[in-house]
Amino acid sequence: MAPTSASAADSPAQSAPDTIENNLQPFFVLHKASSRKSEKRSAGTGKTRRRIDLSPSPTKKTEKSEECDEQHRFEQLRMEAFELVWSKIDSTIKDVLRGINTNVFDEIHRWVCESFYTIKSFGTPGIAEATRAFPIVTDASSKLLFAGLVLTKNMEFVDDLLTFEEVGLCLKSHGCHVANLSSLDFSAKNGIGGCLRGLLRQFLMATLDAADMSILASWYREQENNNSPVVVIIDDMERCCGSVLSEFILMLSEWVVKIPIILLMGVSTTLDAPRNLLPSNVLQQLCPSKFVLGSPAERMDAVVEAVLVKQCSGFSVGHKVAVFLRNYFLNQDGTLISFIRALKIACALHFSMEPQSFILGGLLDEEEQEGEKSGLLPEIILKNAPQLPLYVRSFNRNQMAEQNGKSLVHGLSELKGLHKCWSIVVLCLYEAGNCNKIRLLDLLCEALDPDLYTSKASNNVVLENDCGLPITSDRFMRQKYSTSQKGGLISQIIRKVRDLPAATLYQLLKNWEKITMDVPEIHDKVKELQSEFRFEDGKLKQNVDDISKRHSSLSPINSEKDSKAISEKAAALLDSLVGDFFRPIECIPFHETVCFKSVEKLQSALIGDPRRRIQVDLLEFYKILRCSCCSKSGNILVPSMHDTSVMYTLAQEHGDLINLHDWFQSFKTIVLRPSKKGKPKSKQSPLPKKRKDMNESENKSEASIQARFCRAVTELQISGLLRMPSRRRPDCVQRVAFGL
Amino acid sequence: MSVQLLDPNVSKKNAGKFASRAQTKRAKFSSLHSLRLPRHFWHINQLEKSLTMETNNDIEDMEEEEEFGFSRNYFLAKELGSSGKKSARKLSEINLVDEQELRAAASNIEPKHEKEVVALMNSYKSLYSKWVFELRCGFGLLMYGFGSKKALIEDFASMALTDYSVVVINGYLQAINIKQVVIALAEVLWDQLKSKRATSSGNLPKVQQPFNSRSMDDLLAFLNGSEAEDKDCFICVVIHNIDGPALRDSETQQYLAQIASCSCIRIVASIDHVNAPLLWDKKMVHTQFNWCWYHVPTFAPYKVEGMFFPLILAHGSTAQSAKTAAIVLQSLTPNAQSVFRVLAEYQLSHPDEEGMPINILYTVCRERFLVSSQLTLNSHLTEFKDHELVKTRRHSDGQDCLYIPLTTEALEKLLMEINQ
Repeated sequence: MAPTSASAADSPAQSAPDTIENNLQPFFVLHKASSRKSEKRSAGTGKTRRRIDLSPSPTKKTEKSEECDEQHRFEQLRMEAFELVWSKIDSTIKDVLRGINTNVFDEIHRWVCESFYTIKSFGTPGIAEATRAFPIVTDASSKLLFAGLVLTKNMEFVDDLLTFEEVGLCLKSHGCHVANLSSLDFSAKNGIGGCLRGLLRQFLMATLDAADMSILASWYREQENNNSPVVVIIDDMERCCGSVLSEFILMLSEWVVKIPIILLMGVSTTLDAPRNLLPSNVLQQLCPSKFVLGSPAERMDAVVEAVLVKQCSGFSVGHKVAVFLRNYFLNQDGTLISFIRALKIACALHFSMEPQSFILGGLLDEEEQEGEKSGLLPEIILKNAPQLPLYVRSFNRNQMAEQNGKSLVHGLSELKGLHKCWSIVVLCLYEAGNCNKIRLLDLLCEALDPDLYTSKASNNVVLENDCGLPITSDRFMRQKYSTSQKGGLISQIIRKVRDLPAATLYQLLKNWEKITMDVPEIHDKVKELQSEFRFEDGKLKQNVDDISKRHSSLSPINSEKDSKAISEKAAALLDSLVGDFFRPIECIPFHETVCFKSVEKLQSALIGDPRRRIQVDLLEFYKILRCSCCSKSGNILVPSMHDTSVMYTLAQEHGDLINLHDWFQSFKTIVLRPSKKGKPKSKQSPLPKKRKDMNESENKSEASIQARFCRAVTELQISGLLRMPSRRRPDCVQRVAFGL
Repeated sequence: MSVQLLDPNVSKKNAGKFASRAQTKRAKFSSLHSLRLPRHFWHINQLEKSLTMETNNDIEDMEEEEEFGFSRNYFLAKELGSSGKKSARKLSEINLVDEQELRAAASNIEPKHEKEVVALMNSYKSLYSKWVFELRCGFGLLMYGFGSKKALIEDFASMALTDYSVVVINGYLQAINIKQVVIALAEVLWDQLKSKRATSSGNLPKVQQPFNSRSMDDLLAFLNGSEAEDKDCFICVVIHNIDGPALRDSETQQYLAQIASCSCIRIVASIDHVNAPLLWDKKMVHTQFNWCWYHVPTFAPYKVEGMFFPLILAHGSTAQSAKTAAIVLQSLTPNAQSVFRVLAEYQLSHPDEEGMPINILYTVCRERFLVSSQLTLNSHLTEFKDHELVKTRRHSDGQDCLYIPLTTEALEKLLMEINQ
């Protein structure tokens, strides 16, 4: 630490002995929060920031500090906007997931109530029995423990953590006593005491040293409302320690008359799981029931629909980012929670990078207060407009500097309108593609592709200049669009609509009607088609509800012909919608404010790749350090290179074992090698100095080379690229990483 | 590896195929890597070329190559290790300098590219505000890349995080008591809340119990508490080497993850090990640590981090292992030492045997009045085994026998030392 931080002149002065002492402390307090914190933060960070930016031009101090304050004010605004937007997205996601699960939750609740009454029917203990500190057992059936097995249909239990939390809350709201345990509570190390303590902690809100079921029993008796079930939720049963879990179950079953405990366990594989984990005497005590949660793909579609298509928050992502998110979901992780996290990082990056993003917060505010105070957004922007150009200039965004607040307001509301139309068309397409199992995320990726739009728009010059809705009459162009996109999902969906049977088509139109409710332009068209449906197909009108019956009652030839015509029309409608309203966000002016596009930044923040990157750091260090001495040498090792890099490059030539002797010799050769090219600029190269040293005292140089070798080995060991010699092979180290 | 089961020519041919593919791939990336092919490769490659015409279906193989690159590289390296002439040079052939001299030289290593390293560190300063923003958004920062990141992170903490309390954990040390850390965190948070309430004239509930007598769960609950309604009131925990020796076990990582998920805590951590992400499962990564990765190679020397690593050229020598063994032995009873001596002498006089059968050891020790029963001998042996002074292996006739895992020279040295 010493050389670098000492030479970095503007780092805070820290006395050296202090640092050394701190380095050996397991932990220490670097500093406490400054008192400025309690004041308004604006002053606080403003100052810090100034210190950071100080270096280049101290002469323009006042101007700079002003700018800094300004910058800071906007940063604060962006921070607030992020919080607003993300909390909106977050709550939307939660709502959506809860919505998906409501049916299962209701089912679970019903089952809990039934089980509770069954337990009660075994009889309630009398006061004398109930106050005794040991369980009562009357007969075998009263020892039965009701256990709900929730099949998560998902190998990754992370996605279901939230679900189990939610089911807990849901049951609590119905008056049950609920405790959530996880597999960590059922570890072999802590044994039965661990999970019991966990239970007591959650029910009694206190940590007790002596964990005992009788405490829980007396707690339950003392509850005012001891007429409600006690539900214990274990979210990932399969990861529990089997012996601890079986002991726990046996214990609960003995107490079940006194404390009506009902188990709810998450199972990610199959119903066999308990059989594999628990011995048969434990299984006999369980009275299992099965519940099934929605599949991850289903949940994914619902989340994407709410967050990215319907745009609950106004925040959106560009095409490349969407494609990245999809690939990340499919290839990397496959969990919804990772997708949500990726989205959150995208959102945070957007607000930290995009200077104008704070407007998004205002936009959202406006939306929420619509009705009471419409037009708040323009106010906010206009209020900040005077500062905008200055601020924007400081970020070197000249193109934006010319626009004043008003055009921004106009542009943004237009963007909102256009985007709404777009999202409705996407939803219509999704609805149509639903029967073909098309995933919304795939569709979204195509729908966001700006290239499709531009290739379409380039056919129609009028579209280019027009910021508003494109002209709708040019049917030919639209046809061209769909035919030019044969392979795409969108054209696939449109084609499929043509082949839809009447019944499905009718349902589809009905759904479209619902989706397009808010946009009269589209809604009218759908209505029109719907009415046509009724006119052409008289029988349908009479018997809308019983679709299948109606379908069979039609004479086959006639109905086929009719429905063919209508589905043709529906496809044409969809086609025209795509042609008219399908404008990806990246093709709308001002989209920078709301749309995150920087996929590289997202990727690097989301997926660290230490295994590859650290090796590349070593092998191509000159690209990072940008030194003049080593970059020219190409692939040839020169003595001026970083020692560890030289060593690691040399290590590439060895097999899985590196003979230390050979390695050291080749390292020494390279370090001592006079670089031929280096001669003219010998002053820069440390080599000649070394050689002089060597002439003076060979021993000293030998020691330093050995020391450098040792340090390089240590550094490779810290990086995990080497394993130390074993006793069996004391002269060899082991390579760990092979290839990038 | 199955290749080795085939006859040597086939295996060579296979190796050649691998090698030529690897070579073409390497040639493609030669601008990227400064990799050089070992000499064996060239020979094998020439052979391969003379045998078969090289086909050029490489482009379609690209994808596959990427995918199997790792495993193939591994097997290639294995192949090299076994088929190539294994160098049997001993470390002792190097004229090793004295350990003290080596340590002195190690502390005086001339840094290379000093200017560039400083410039690199300074270039990261522009990211500070972004990092703060992300911390405030609720993410943890995870720094990786080659070079010590200690100075960088501490500089970041003392420059840009002045508004927040910062606690530093030095994960590169050998042992850290995580509970002590959590207690310290709770105390810092308590101070912070107190000073805040003092200004806003509210009052906190009195602490019922001093922090150091509370349970871990309680402490974590306090750190996760709702007492701080202000979202922006958090403590920054800097963890140097979250993958370090003291923090590497899964229990500690679980605790760290729980700490990280507390609402009043933000983590800024660094990793150096290429496999560090394997420490965490998906729950920890996605719901608790919530990392934002940053690739920040510094190329600064791992001075403090490497402090506890033995120098390889000092460690490998027989002197070192004999010395550590001697230290252990000297702490044992004289009788135990004598038992060990019996074993060592046997091993020195029977260098070709697998070891000393236990019954022989027992007889000898009894004769010399070192032990009175099998039980006492066993207790001595357990002690030796715990300190890895003695190991057992199966004799060729099926009998268990004892041996000392040291070289003859080291053993002689050791005997000299304990005889003193």
